[in-house]
Order: sequence, then C-alpha cells, then structure tokens
Amino acid sequence: MNEEEIIESAKTGDRKAMALLVKSYEKTIYNFAFKICRNPERAENIMQETFLSMVKSLNQFDGKSKLSTWLYRIVANHCLMEVRKNKHQFVSTDDNEDGFYENNFASDWNLEPQNILENNELKKILDDAITKLSPDYRIVFLLRDVQGLSTEETGEITELSVPAVKSRLHRARAFLRKELNEAFKR
Amino acid sequence: MNENNVTCKEVMSHICDSLGEELDSPKCVAIKNHLDECPDCRQYFNSVEKTIEFYKLYNLEFNPDAHNRLMNILGLED
Repeated sequence: MNEEEIIESAKTGDRKAMALLVKSYEKTIYNFAFKICRNPERAENIMQETFLSMVKSLNQFDGKSKLSTWLYRIVANHCLMEVRKNKHQFVSTDDNEDGFYENNFASDWNLEPQNILENNELKKILDDAITKLSPDYRIVFLLRDVQGLSTEETGEITELSVPAVKSRLHRARAFLRKELNEAFKR
Repeated sequence: MNENNVTCKEVMSHICDSLGEELDSPKCVAIKNHLDECPDCRQYFNSVEKTIEFYKLYNLEFNPDAHNRLMNILGLED
C-alpha cells in the first residue's frame, strides 16, 4: 500500500493503518519538536499532542498537501503556543540588520558537524543560540534549512508569503551564524 | 562599475537565495564569481552552511519507551 491508500484505510478506522502512519512519522516529528523547543520531555509531549490531533482530525485531511506538511503545521502550532508564553526572552530579529554581519573571521569553524553528538559543549552552544531566536524565525529556519522543505511548503505551514519566508530565513541564518561565531571565539 | 558587480555586503544579503535556490540569474552568477574570488565572503558562506549542518545533525535518539507511551496514549498498542 502507498501512503495515500494507508491514509484512506486509517480514515475508515483501520487501527493497523493508523499505527503505520504514526510509525512512519514519529521520529521525524519528535526531532522536529525537539529542535523547536530544545527539551526532550516537552518534545515528547508535543509529539503526543500532534499525533492525538492527527488521529482525531485525519478525516479533515484532504490530501491536497503532503501528510508531513499537515503534521509539521500541527507541531508548529503546538510549539508556538507554548514558546510564545515566554516571548520576552527572545532577541528581536527586526533590530538593526547590520549587527548580524561582522568581518571578524578569527573564530574557529574547524569543528566537524559529524562529531556533534559526542560534543556536549557544542550542543550547548547550539541550544543557547537557537533559543535566543524568536520562535517565528526559528520555525522557518528549521522547516526550510533543517527539515529541507521548499520555500513554498514552509510558507504554507507558517502562513507566510514566499518573500516573507526568504526574509525570515535570511535573518535567522545570519543571527545563528553570528551567535555561533561569537561562541567559537571564546 | 558593471551592474552585476557585487560587494561583500550584497553577497551576504543574498546568501539566503544562494544556498537554497536556483543560481542562474546574472546577479547570482556574479555572486558565485565573487565568492570564488573573495576569501572573506567564502568563509562567511561556508560558516552559514556549517551552521545549518550542525542543526541538521543534532538529533535525539527516539527510544522505544517513547514509542510505547505514544502508542498507548493513542490506543494503538500492538
């Protein structure tokens, strides 16, 4: 069965088909939720909420977009609701853009990304940098660059125009790159 | 100055497109050429790419307990 057929079976109440859909996406959704909220327990809660929403509302899924796009939207909404409660702690990416650019390249960028899981210091730097970024920008960066969605899909999920996605993506990349650059100098 | 000449600042402001979009416009070709010749911009471009790569590879292991709890909550246990 292809995914479309599995979805149709799940809609008719086929538990095996529903379980198959959950198994297909649980790792992706868990890690996407973690990448937004940077906390394993909250990521698990958001994943559970997302699949509860899927099971409850799958009949409303019209198949016009990919199921993954639909799920990403649910995760994004759950995460945004949660993180916006603490919005005051984020850096405004609308501030002077020139501040994102610096011509100081003295930092050590020789770390190999492949070794990241063994490097707790680097993981903390990455967590600290992205949690300073406002969630609206964080989600665009994660969907487009990290999950590899197209600009159009990212716009569909975040309800932003293509130019707005590009603008936020650009600012998010510049902000994160600057934060890492400063951390690597220390 | 040729209209396709670009400054470092301009290269940086176009990094968004140059990382994720088609690069066949005259402006983007000029940016690529500039990157080949400007070590500062190339270093900046590489560091942005590395930033993305770090976040891509930073994943958590999804343990079987989390799977079991999820299936239990959904009423979809094996």
